[in-house]
Amino acid sequence: MRLYDIVVLVTPDLNDEDATKVAAEYKKILTDGGATVVKDEPWGKRRLAFPIQRKREAHYHYWQVEAAPAAVAEAERRMGLSDQVLRHLAVRVDEELKRSAKMAERLRIKAAKRPPRPAAAPVPPAESVPAERSEP
Amino acid sequence: MRSGGGSGRPSGGRGGAAGRDGKGGPRKKFFVRRRKVCKFCAEKLEYIDWKDVKLLQGFIPERGKILPRRISGTCALHQRKLQTAIKRARSIALLPYATD
Repeated sequence: MRLYDIVVLVTPDLNDEDATKVAAEYKKILTDGGATVVKDEPWGKRRLAFPIQRKREAHYHYWQVEAAPAAVAEAERRMGLSDQVLRHLAVRVDEELKRSAKMAERLRIKAAKRPPRPAAAPVPPAESVPAERSEP
Repeated sequence: MRSGGGSGRPSGGRGGAAGRDGKGGPRKKFFVRRRKVCKFCAEKLEYIDWKDVKLLQGFIPERGKILPRRISGTCALHQRKLQTAIKRARSIALLPYATD
């Protein structure tokens, strides 16, 4: 199982209800394939940054799902065939999130270590450096 | 302050070419250059979310191109992540590819 961000753009020709129905079809494909939906956020009707098939807006539907790759591939394939879906995007995010969590952890540890240093540093190095320089 | 540049001139023939070159910049470089810091490093944002349009829009000037690193000051690592995030956002029409 992997974590995916999936966004589907449904035609603005449909009203809100029908659009969510269309989107729900694809969600069903995912859940039938053993996926669990982590987040389900309809972003509503948004303006597109550029026209797609002469349309200037679309219904955006966003899910975060934990799914098997095969289920996502199947859902994406069907989205590609549909006329009602203008665009779709599925991105695997689990590894990226894990890495960022790790980095955040590392930064936190580093920050915790730092404070004691500046108090101890200044005096001793000043004496040792000139002595070594004079020899060669 | 810059007495060396002024004294070079009256001696005329000697090192004339070099003197002229030096004369090109009598104005002092006086603007204070602010040190650029990578925004993502500063705020400790590791994951750049491609759904966060507001964040990404700050790196898209009018023309719709991706703001270069040399201007935004973003570090190499984060610029690369930013780049993929912007490209993903473009593919689902959250951001423009180009505007005129």
